[in-house]
Amino acid sequence: MLEATVRVTNTLGLHARAAARLVRLAATFSSSLKIRRTDNDSEANAKDILSVLSIAASRGVVLQLIADGADESDAIEQVKQLFADNFGEQ
Amino acid sequence: MSDTKRIGGVIISHGQLANELVAAAEAVVGDLHHIRAVSIGWHDDVEMAKAEIEQAIKEVSEGVGVLLLTDMFGGTPTNIAAMFLDSNDVEIVTGVNLPMVIKLASTTRETTLHDLAKEVESQGKDAICRATTLLLPQKLKKDA
Repeated sequence: MLEATVRVTNTLGLHARAAARLVRLAATFSSSLKIRRTDNDSEANAKDILSVLSIAASRGVVLQLIADGADESDAIEQVKQLFADNFGEQ
Repeated sequence: MSDTKRIGGVIISHGQLANELVAAAEAVVGDLHHIRAVSIGWHDDVEMAKAEIEQAIKEVSEGVGVLLLTDMFGGTPTNIAAMFLDSNDVEIVTGVNLPMVIKLASTTRETTLHDLAKEVESQGKDAICRATTLLLPQKLKKDA
């Protein structure tokens, strides 16, 4: 199991389209991938868009990424990059 | 091959609601080839509306069932949709909202029509919440 921390920095936060990009990326890995808000411990399955939306991660929220499986290292790196790229948004 | 077959979906509503729900879901999750919208005009003929739903069911059916999501129990769209309930391949869940359409859109292929109907019903209910309880619980404590 691998863990990493990311901050939501795009203006709109983890809204529907950004969440959809995260889910599409997460689905390409065989590893399980969870995201957990560090401020209130609410947790989501990164492969389920409605689960991701349910934690309402707005700009500034810090999330813990937890990947578990054969490709966990790639999963963490690529998801970290997606957050760093602001999901291709501002 | 049975493992490539998908449960179809038809969203049925008064006015343009169904079209817009599908458009919004597509904006989030991408093209939805297995979902159709049937928007029934306020003055549409019942037989015409029924034929439109029948056509939509045919278009999305791959032989493993079609889930009809209607806007309001007791309304004309639901009543017309209910005419198709005799078929074992059709289930209806009423009170459609965007999370229900997204659930239907993003469902995995390894499920049955009846299980999917239950999941979509449950998702639709779970998605309705008083946002304050999740986002500002301290405000509720103050009001109490």
